[in-house]
Amino acid sequence: MYLTVRDATKTYGTFTALDSVSIEIEKGEFVCLLGPSGCGKTTLLRLIAGLTELDGGEITLEGAPLSELPARKRGFGIVFQSYSLFPNMSVAENIGYGLKIRDVPAPEITARVNELLQLVKLPQMADKLPGQLSGGQQQRIALARAIAVDPRVLLLDEPLSALDAKVRATLRDEIRQVQRALEIPTLMVTHDQEEALALADKIICMNHGIVVQAGTPEDLYHRPATRFVAEFMGSSNLLSAEDIARHFPDLLATHPTDEKTYLACIRPEQIGLTPAKEGSATVRSISFLGNLQRLEVDSAAGPLLVETHGRVSCRMGESVDLRIALDACTWVLDDAGQPERSAA
Amino acid sequence: MSSASHTSRPPMRGPRLHRSLDADRLLTLACIGLPLIGLILFFAYPMVIVFLRSITVGDSYGIDNYTEVLGSAGFWRATRHSLAMGGATTALSVFLGFIIAQGLYRCAFRGKWIIRSIIVLPLLAPSLVQALGLIFLLGRNGVISRALGVEIEIYGFWGLLIANTLYALPQAVMIIGAALVLLDARTYEAAEVMGASPWRQFRDLTLPAARFGILNAAFVCFTITITDFGNAAVIGGDYSVLATEIYSQVVGQRNFNMGAVVGIMLLLPTVISYSIERQAMKRQQAGQTTGQVAYQPSFTPLRDLCMAAVSALICASIVAVIGIVVYASFVKLWPYNMSFSLKHYNITLAGGYSSLWMTIVVSLAAAAGGTIAVFLLGLGLRRLPQALAQPIQILAAMPAAVPGMVLGLAYILTFNSTATPLYLLYGTAALIAIVNFYHYHTQGFLTVMTGFRQLPPALEEAAGSLGAGLGRTARDIVAPFIAPMLVSVFFFLFMRSMVTLSAVVFLTTPNLSVAAVTIMRLDDAGLTSQAAAFSTCVMAVVCVAVLSMKAILALMGRRNQRKGAV
Repeated sequence: MYLTVRDATKTYGTFTALDSVSIEIEKGEFVCLLGPSGCGKTTLLRLIAGLTELDGGEITLEGAPLSELPARKRGFGIVFQSYSLFPNMSVAENIGYGLKIRDVPAPEITARVNELLQLVKLPQMADKLPGQLSGGQQQRIALARAIAVDPRVLLLDEPLSALDAKVRATLRDEIRQVQRALEIPTLMVTHDQEEALALADKIICMNHGIVVQAGTPEDLYHRPATRFVAEFMGSSNLLSAEDIARHFPDLLATHPTDEKTYLACIRPEQIGLTPAKEGSATVRSISFLGNLQRLEVDSAAGPLLVETHGRVSCRMGESVDLRIALDACTWVLDDAGQPERSAA
Repeated sequence: MSSASHTSRPPMRGPRLHRSLDADRLLTLACIGLPLIGLILFFAYPMVIVFLRSITVGDSYGIDNYTEVLGSAGFWRATRHSLAMGGATTALSVFLGFIIAQGLYRCAFRGKWIIRSIIVLPLLAPSLVQALGLIFLLGRNGVISRALGVEIEIYGFWGLLIANTLYALPQAVMIIGAALVLLDARTYEAAEVMGASPWRQFRDLTLPAARFGILNAAFVCFTITITDFGNAAVIGGDYSVLATEIYSQVVGQRNFNMGAVVGIMLLLPTVISYSIERQAMKRQQAGQTTGQVAYQPSFTPLRDLCMAAVSALICASIVAVIGIVVYASFVKLWPYNMSFSLKHYNITLAGGYSSLWMTIVVSLAAAAGGTIAVFLLGLGLRRLPQALAQPIQILAAMPAAVPGMVLGLAYILTFNSTATPLYLLYGTAALIAIVNFYHYHTQGFLTVMTGFRQLPPALEEAAGSLGAGLGRTARDIVAPFIAPMLVSVFFFLFMRSMVTLSAVVFLTTPNLSVAAVTIMRLDDAGLTSQAAAFSTCVMAVVCVAVLSMKAILALMGRRNQRKGAV
């Protein structure tokens, strides 16, 4: 294991920002810390960076504890949401600053800066001041500045949140390409599940200062462990075990055997739909989204959200039959914590 | 970037002016016209007169006055002294100011509010109070000189240097502090993660960010120092400077033309330094970005304890200098009989306290009239095309470049002449209120303009589209929005008028005096303890004003919050 956080705890007065959190990052891995605002993800990132002090627990890098090492001795790279380029330095000076601190000879710095400017696709910008660049450009330079020193870990604190949608998508792909090419272990904080799904090798989903679930994007989307994860990772239909027993009894086969309360989580695109006279459900509304259609249907088990690809000849008020495959249903723990974001 | 907010205004304003009601156009004209006439009559015109008088020789014009002044050893000595004093004060106050600002905004220790409150004290007293305090501390009968048993020659360069530094320090702290606040926390954190040591962060981030602030503070301190009259008059001794030179030419030798020449000479460095300062300010504002995270220093014992100690030491000396004046005013016979007595509050010099009441009335008038004038001007300027607004803005920002001595001299030359009906104003309290307002016009104007800049043009346009005329919009939308700014301007003008000396020193008559002049006369007459008592009264009035302002602003803030909560 490359970077390990064990039982990290951080409190601010009576507020517990992090409650005994443990995470692991392997060499070359891209890990996303995902969660609603206030869940402790940024606090965790700042603890790893050394910008905030740990109240309890331990952080180790390649087995060596980091706690005694100040931020500037850790050899990490960081990119913030608010660009935070040095306003008085040119683009080239910004990128080369970390190397200058490490007393790298000037010609080498120049060469490295040019190489990085190529990498982030801004070769003409060396002599510009940060104020002359757009938000997306500034964030590319901030990325180049962070990776210039070959950081042992790259930390990204919501780096795309301040950018508009188009730039965000482009830069997202570029970050992934650069990370893949250089194989830098990377930890990114985000509240955008789409971003996390697209970028991460591993997603750590957090809420109220604890890790709710960690796993691959596929795991978190298709096999959420709790109601919170299910609702945070996109839209889902959540049905009680009683409703399932009454209306879709086949699905009970996979119900866990312990005593806890579980809900059935069925993703909208996993529900099959065929028009049928005297069907079990009625189409209440249809929204056309181009590549897919989103339908609200009234079933005996209550309203359900259904997404279909391609052309489906359904009309409002029409009667339909529903099909749910056994493996489309995941049983999620009904966690007491109220979700911050409800299903769409 | 300060001008960007003007140019970025929607271009529809011009055409709308023509389409709108005639009453609105008339009102706009009045908004611009009245303050503009005031500026021309009470600022531009007297400045022209002072220039004309400087080149008046007998009945015709010539440069003889200049050649005479430039040929006199006294003038060159005063110039040399002024420059040396300005340079030394600037270096010292910027250095100390930087330390205090760095402590306030970049270090972590408790009790910063104490330092903040103490550091502004010199602004709340007439400038000659620093000089009085130094005399009580370090003069022949000063507590420190007597305790140490040494004779310190406080009159002259060193005394004046300390007094001026204390006087300039608040400005230096405020300006440098404003520059330090601009750099946000994330920038420092980025540098920290990249491996920059605290010293490197200071050298590579803090210093460059504060560069324009430091430059700006230096020019302001230099200007304050070479134009200040109060300290130089009380503690300068034989160390003549340009400000005292003008005074002795005009009041001592009744040589108005020569005074005008020295005034013009004094104007040169202040105009130059003021214009550079304005440029520096623009550069600094250009660096601002939005969405910043405030820097939260964490406690670093060695650094923070040292900085706290140095700041406390500087504050202690300010408290000592001002406190000793208050203390001395309550002492029976300084320094021989230190028992408590109120006898110095029985002011014996002709007039007694009448000048204090007069100053309060004059200050209230200057504050009320001035606040209305700058508000109207700001309101009107928003509705004027850029090409017209710009020259008016430049004129409105000019008075800050003119030393009070020069403005006062210009007034006496202009209004003590029967050539115009303006002569009627001479010797009235109204003229003193007017000179005080125009002396501090720039600061008031710029504060209101800052307020207007934060008011989104869309608000006024929305009010207009709902059918509100200019008068209604001004009353219902604009005035409530910038009310806190107006309150600040009102109290700023009031407090400056209460303590200013340089501009009014020429305009007082035996029947009409103001507080700062009375203090100077009491000190001149050897009644130092009475001067201290009078100073204490002035400071008490100004302190009440400061507290009232704080209370009003807090009340306004709370009322807005309550409205928002409903």
